[in-house]
Amino acid sequence: MELRYLFKKTKSVPGSENRKNEDQGPQTPQGLFHKCTKCGETIFSEELKRNLFVCPQCGGYFRMYAGTRIDSILDDGSFEEWDSDIKELNPLGTPGYEDKLERLREKTSLDEAVVTGKGLVNGYPVCLGVMDCRFMMASMGSVVGEKITRMFERATEEKLPVIIFTASGGARMQEGIISLMQMAKTSAAIKRHSDAGLLYVTVLTDPTTGGVTASFAMLGDIILAEPGALIGFAGPRVIEQTIGQKLPEGFQRSEFLLEHGFVDDIVTRSDMKDHLTDILKFHADKGSFKPEKTGKIKISKRSGKLTPWDKVMISRGKDRPVAEDYIKELFPDFIEFHGDRFVNDDKAVMGGIATFAGKAVTVIAESKGHDTKENIDRNFGMPSPDGYRKALRLMKQAEKFGRPVICFVDTPGAYCGLEAEERGQGEAIARNLYEMSSLKVPVLSIIISEAGSGGALAVAVSDEVWMFENAIYAILSPEGYASILWKDSKRASEAAAEMKLTAEDMKEKKIVEKIIAEPEDLCKDNIETVVAQLREGISGFIGNNLDFDGEELAKKRYDRYRSY
Amino acid sequence: MIKKVLIANRGEIAVRIIRACREMGIQTVAVCSEADRNALHAMLADQTICIGPAPSSESYLNINRIISATMTSGADAIHPGFGFLSEDSRFARICERCNITFIGPSSEMIAASGNKAQAKKTMMDAGVPTIPGSAEAARTVEDGLRLAEVATYPVMIKAALGGGGKGMRVARTKDVFQQAFLTAQQEAKNAFGDGSMYIEHYVEHPKHIEVQILADKFGNVVSLGERDCSIQRNHQKLVEETPCETLSEEKRKEICEAAVKAAKAVNYENAGTVEFLLEPSGNFYFMEMNTRIQVEHPITEWVTGIDLIKEQIKIASGEKLGFTQKDVQIKGHSIEVRINAEDAEHKFRPCPGKIELAYLPGGQGVRIDSAVYSGLEIPPFYDSMLAKLSVWAPTREEAIKKAQSALGEVIITGIKTNIDYQYGIITSPEFVSGNTDIDFIEKFSRK
Repeated sequence: MELRYLFKKTKSVPGSENRKNEDQGPQTPQGLFHKCTKCGETIFSEELKRNLFVCPQCGGYFRMYAGTRIDSILDDGSFEEWDSDIKELNPLGTPGYEDKLERLREKTSLDEAVVTGKGLVNGYPVCLGVMDCRFMMASMGSVVGEKITRMFERATEEKLPVIIFTASGGARMQEGIISLMQMAKTSAAIKRHSDAGLLYVTVLTDPTTGGVTASFAMLGDIILAEPGALIGFAGPRVIEQTIGQKLPEGFQRSEFLLEHGFVDDIVTRSDMKDHLTDILKFHADKGSFKPEKTGKIKISKRSGKLTPWDKVMISRGKDRPVAEDYIKELFPDFIEFHGDRFVNDDKAVMGGIATFAGKAVTVIAESKGHDTKENIDRNFGMPSPDGYRKALRLMKQAEKFGRPVICFVDTPGAYCGLEAEERGQGEAIARNLYEMSSLKVPVLSIIISEAGSGGALAVAVSDEVWMFENAIYAILSPEGYASILWKDSKRASEAAAEMKLTAEDMKEKKIVEKIIAEPEDLCKDNIETVVAQLREGISGFIGNNLDFDGEELAKKRYDRYRSY
Repeated sequence: MIKKVLIANRGEIAVRIIRACREMGIQTVAVCSEADRNALHAMLADQTICIGPAPSSESYLNINRIISATMTSGADAIHPGFGFLSEDSRFARICERCNITFIGPSSEMIAASGNKAQAKKTMMDAGVPTIPGSAEAARTVEDGLRLAEVATYPVMIKAALGGGGKGMRVARTKDVFQQAFLTAQQEAKNAFGDGSMYIEHYVEHPKHIEVQILADKFGNVVSLGERDCSIQRNHQKLVEETPCETLSEEKRKEICEAAVKAAKAVNYENAGTVEFLLEPSGNFYFMEMNTRIQVEHPITEWVTGIDLIKEQIKIASGEKLGFTQKDVQIKGHSIEVRINAEDAEHKFRPCPGKIELAYLPGGQGVRIDSAVYSGLEIPPFYDSMLAKLSVWAPTREEAIKKAQSALGEVIITGIKTNIDYQYGIITSPEFVSGNTDIDFIEKFSRK
């Protein structure tokens, strides 16, 4: 017999039904809790708000009201709203359209699906546009298009950067062809803003689709996305119905777009303001140059001379630092940007922006990994066409904003494979040589280990090329050379000697300007001496190019390569 | 008046609350996890709702489920007990928003007490003694020396960003300050990359003294005497007693008045405990305020004759305190011993399992607060406390004898308990002398 039946306790247990008529009793007030649409968990609204509308249980993102978004991004009280009184059109004469808008205005206290204006992000002035899904799924009609366009026009006039948080179901059906024209109108305004050398950042939030994706959402110099946001041109349901197939998990989500090269980075809501601040900081005034000086550098040298083959082996050494290590040391505020904006984000090429000695720079690096796992991820530092296209995209961005470009070269060669050929490996390399030759900003390339063939040259058409003491630079690998000329790849060491691929050889042939001395067994633990040389060298390079003339640089670069 | 209380807890405290409610004619709702279906509290309440799987996060700590259980059961109040959600200001806040009476202080008060720095400042402003030391951090020896003078020697030097004992040094006198400061600062720089140091008075060999207070909605605050909780292992109290043997009548008055002042400073409401460190010199310093009923509340009930749980419910119902400070008479002496399911011979690791036989003593002046019975399975998911044995006698000497006698009678078989260890403590000459401090267990274990 269980105890529960033995205890003498109250017989009748009144339940909540006894209290139906009392309004004094406990009740959950409207809006006290939110149900997470992702995990189904009930969340205390106050906590959800504190957590910037991210589910504390599953990390799922709720859609944000425009006002809350503005508060989370702009400094308190700095927002000045623009153009909140534009009258809508009803070009198709859709019955009840005006009434519907009126009702929405009342319900949401918004005048239309986008709020635009000007404000400060940690002190940096910026024009801000925020879309709000509550208003007709933030579809773009004439008013949305007009507000965005006016914001860009005014930003161009006032020389201000623009940030837009996008969210939209697409064009507004009720406004027909006029709605379609908004896509062209906004894009044209952005072009003028861009031609004026001004920065435009988009932040894609859930959901960004249709005509907004196919216009201003995808035109940012930098495109960020919130985690898990639906981003696409055609909506998933439409695609499924058209092709008669089920779409894979994660299709058209931010992560999918990042992987496919259309998004520079995915940024969480809690980091968003800081991240935007960094981006604005890198693009704000040019910054004052503070040259870096390093004292005398003492390097422990090995005794005895190394053969070219020794150097080949050293340059491929598994403990040798990779580009990422130098970036960490030299550019602690580096932020990485991803993607070629065509098809992929190639991890064999890393790129982004940072400051060096107070000046903004673009950093591009062919990147090997530290271990096998990282190397598989980075394809052993062998870029695909997507990698070269990402590099070029970032170089063009640097050109627009007048930033010097610093490239780290470290690749056995461009990737040789099926997809690489399909996507035009040769074209991608050629395009880089072509474009880099006339880039209107200073370009420095540093060969840190292996520089194999066209795959290396595609990021080394530069004003200056430097080379690590034990790095190599060649038309192809010694193994390849031996096998082509002597039909015996085992004679690679012999080939290495014949090929003249060492830093000294390069200096002699004026292929490189400077040799970076290495300590014995260069690895992450003794990286300081080479970092010190690079720091001083890069500082000198930037210092010499403070008031560069783009045309002049391009001409000199032409002459440099003309001489070979 | 509250009609139906949901008890958001388990174990002996849930049983304790159910009993108080029943005596007051209030209906009770127990919540239990799947592991606690046979727990005493689940069987004793008028109504029981299973709120989820065994892990606390999915049951006793899951606010949504507890609120849902409250709504469906029609309870109009929640008693949080101690531990679990008792000091979660968010939980209290949700209760407030749902018009559920939270039997305890307001969410704001819980939040304010939880913020240690803010609480210390409030107390300083209210004239409650706090550990001397400035809020300012020192970066140089000169600054440090100046702050040490204010804090008074011996001083504790600790890293502003510190934790885990790194970057901490005690300087007993001015002569050794520089050495201690520089060592601690170097450690702090190495560990946290920052050399800002706080200088605070170092409280040596203190007693842990806490004062029970009750406060109603109308601003009436009374203290119900102190409890000496110096016998602790890793901040876990083992034996508590009241009154404190070494406290003079004059000091007792002073410390109790300070506790009342502390409660008034934050407009406290309901039952609370103000913790102090008492130096051998007689100086005492505010540590923190506990905004819940405490485990060791029975000893206060013994010496005052006041039922603290019933008072909590009455205060939460909006009643005025039925007595004033001068009505509170501390009579005799009470000692509590905690009986835990843990293996004292193996670093006190918890020992869940099935209780074969539980025999718990009684008799004049002996009280058991427990939720165990023969055949109960102790789940491994929760706190290891099985029972609290408390005794009352007119004098300390008699109370110790009674505690020894009663503890000697306790039989719990099937699982390992700390009964023998506790017996060792209450029969040791050091404990009997009453001259204990918070280092007691450390010394006791070394023997």
